[in-house]
Amino acid sequence: MTELPHLREVFDRLRRGHHLSPEDEPMFSAVAARHDEYASWFRQLGITLVRHPRDFFYFEPDAGEGERETLSRIAVFSFILVDHAANEGRPIEEYIFGQHFLISRLPHLALDRYVGLLRQVDVEEVSGLRQVVRNLERFGFAKVLGEDEFQFLRPFHRLLDKCLELAAQASSPAAGAAKAGETAADRTPTPAP
Amino acid sequence: MLDVVVGLGRMSARLVASGRGLMRIPPQSFFRFCEGHVPLLRRLAAAGGEMSEADVRRMIRDTQDEGGELPDTTWRRLTELHILVPSEPGSDFHFLAEPVRRLLDYLFDAAQAATPEMVRGYIQSLEASGRQLARAIDQEELTLLRLAIDDIQRTLLRVQADLDETHRCILNEVSRYKTERRTISVRDKFRRIVHWMERYVEPMSDVVRPDGPLRSVFDETGRLLVRAREQGLFTDLPTMERSLRLLRIVQRHALRVFQQCRRELQPLYDSLRRSSFLAEGAAKALEALQKDGTSGWADAHGVRAFIQRWHHVPSDLAITRALRNVAEATVEPPPVLALDAPEDLPPDYLRRVWLDGLPDEARACLPIDDLLGWLVKRHPARTSSEALAGFTRLVFDRSFATRFEGGEARVHVTSDGELESCPVQLCNP
Repeated sequence: MTELPHLREVFDRLRRGHHLSPEDEPMFSAVAARHDEYASWFRQLGITLVRHPRDFFYFEPDAGEGERETLSRIAVFSFILVDHAANEGRPIEEYIFGQHFLISRLPHLALDRYVGLLRQVDVEEVSGLRQVVRNLERFGFAKVLGEDEFQFLRPFHRLLDKCLELAAQASSPAAGAAKAGETAADRTPTPAP
Repeated sequence: MLDVVVGLGRMSARLVASGRGLMRIPPQSFFRFCEGHVPLLRRLAAAGGEMSEADVRRMIRDTQDEGGELPDTTWRRLTELHILVPSEPGSDFHFLAEPVRRLLDYLFDAAQAATPEMVRGYIQSLEASGRQLARAIDQEELTLLRLAIDDIQRTLLRVQADLDETHRCILNEVSRYKTERRTISVRDKFRRIVHWMERYVEPMSDVVRPDGPLRSVFDETGRLLVRAREQGLFTDLPTMERSLRLLRIVQRHALRVFQQCRRELQPLYDSLRRSSFLAEGAAKALEALQKDGTSGWADAHGVRAFIQRWHHVPSDLAITRALRNVAEATVEPPPVLALDAPEDLPPDYLRRVWLDGLPDEARACLPIDDLLGWLVKRHPARTSSEALAGFTRLVFDRSFATRFEGGEARVHVTSDGELESCPVQLCNP
């Protein structure tokens, strides 16, 4: 195996829960071009490199407790955004990926119901939302563009996949897998060399 | 005269009600009324379904010009002209008469989609006409043959019109989705599009597909028409050719229309289906959080990420530094605790003990004529401050009585100065 480019940086990012997307150049291109070799290398460490069908990379999560609170806040934040888009009658993916968001104009603090939900995960004010957005960036789900502005990145599909999975479970536990087929089944761990 | 008019009105109404085929509605009156009441007719067409008399009268008031005819007159004309028909005899609820609804739909371009049942009805009608045609050919009945061909033509024209209307209807629906984005939730939109797909497009595709019942009845009808032409029974060849051409056109048209409808709806259906699932999943997760709180929520509803806690291996530099620290460490003797050292009593404590012992000491010497002089004489090492504190302690002790004797002031020498005072006697109370 020849030396893999940017291996240290790739590993350093992925091991912190980051998702590699085209925003993470040149690491993303390096992994995309030789993902089998990277996967094989990481497998020796007992880590599975996942290539999502939407073409981004991340380490398969373990069952650890790491960053549970942070990820819960991210999930609540994201589900509220999806709920808001749905209530507005907007095509959800177009709404999420088709625009830049201003933190000060997010719908999260506009409805009492949303405020109550956020309070459960200790997000109370705009400063709390800012922190969530910073964490979204840390995991590679979003990119902060300025003091108040951010945009969602491709890896945010992991949150949307979770929504599809939950919807499938709700309609029928047995049919869950079928409906979520485009999500879980498509998240193919890179095959062993 | 009034009775006659009313009577004629009743008769006219009875005629209308007694048989739709014998309607005596003068077309001029009907269209003249329509001309003057376009907004009202539009409202009636938009309302659809059952309407109470009160609803209709409200529409009349809303659309009536000031100074125009009386609302009662309009209401009466609506029923007389058979524009509105009661849902059952004597009922307060009315429908827009079906022929009028179709006319208004046509005029207002409000397309109504043909249901699969309607198309199946046309198929049955074509089958019946085909049987009639076959019988006419067998019996060489020219009149029957002409009637059957007329029936077939009428049915084909209706099929074509309904197909066009369905296509237009679906185009309208699709465009409404695109323009009404902010008013309807994703889930409602999805339900509506599913309704369209399930009610119209999917079943209709089964009917019009190349090996479906519509194609088979068209083929059979075509064979019979060709047979009639070949046997020379029907001499009106242009009509025959028109019928055959119409048959081919409608057949192609039906398939094309439903392919087009599917192409219009399918992307919308797919997009809304996905959005609806996304919305449903998010709503379920938020509902669970609201109902059950955060306990266990993250496991079932959150996403997980690979987080590796990194414990660094000590570097060579750190190891070297640690070894150097050990090598260069100087030996220091352990501290020794002086457990048997004499204990120094605090001066304040000693002073307190001295003050507390003064009353007993003084009691033994009572009466004392000059208290301050006595104190200074017995405790010459005490300072002026201590002497005065002792004086105060004894003067305010309740077990003694003090008396100011007057007389000349005396000077008492203490360890750090002098005190001058007149004698104060201390005695038993």
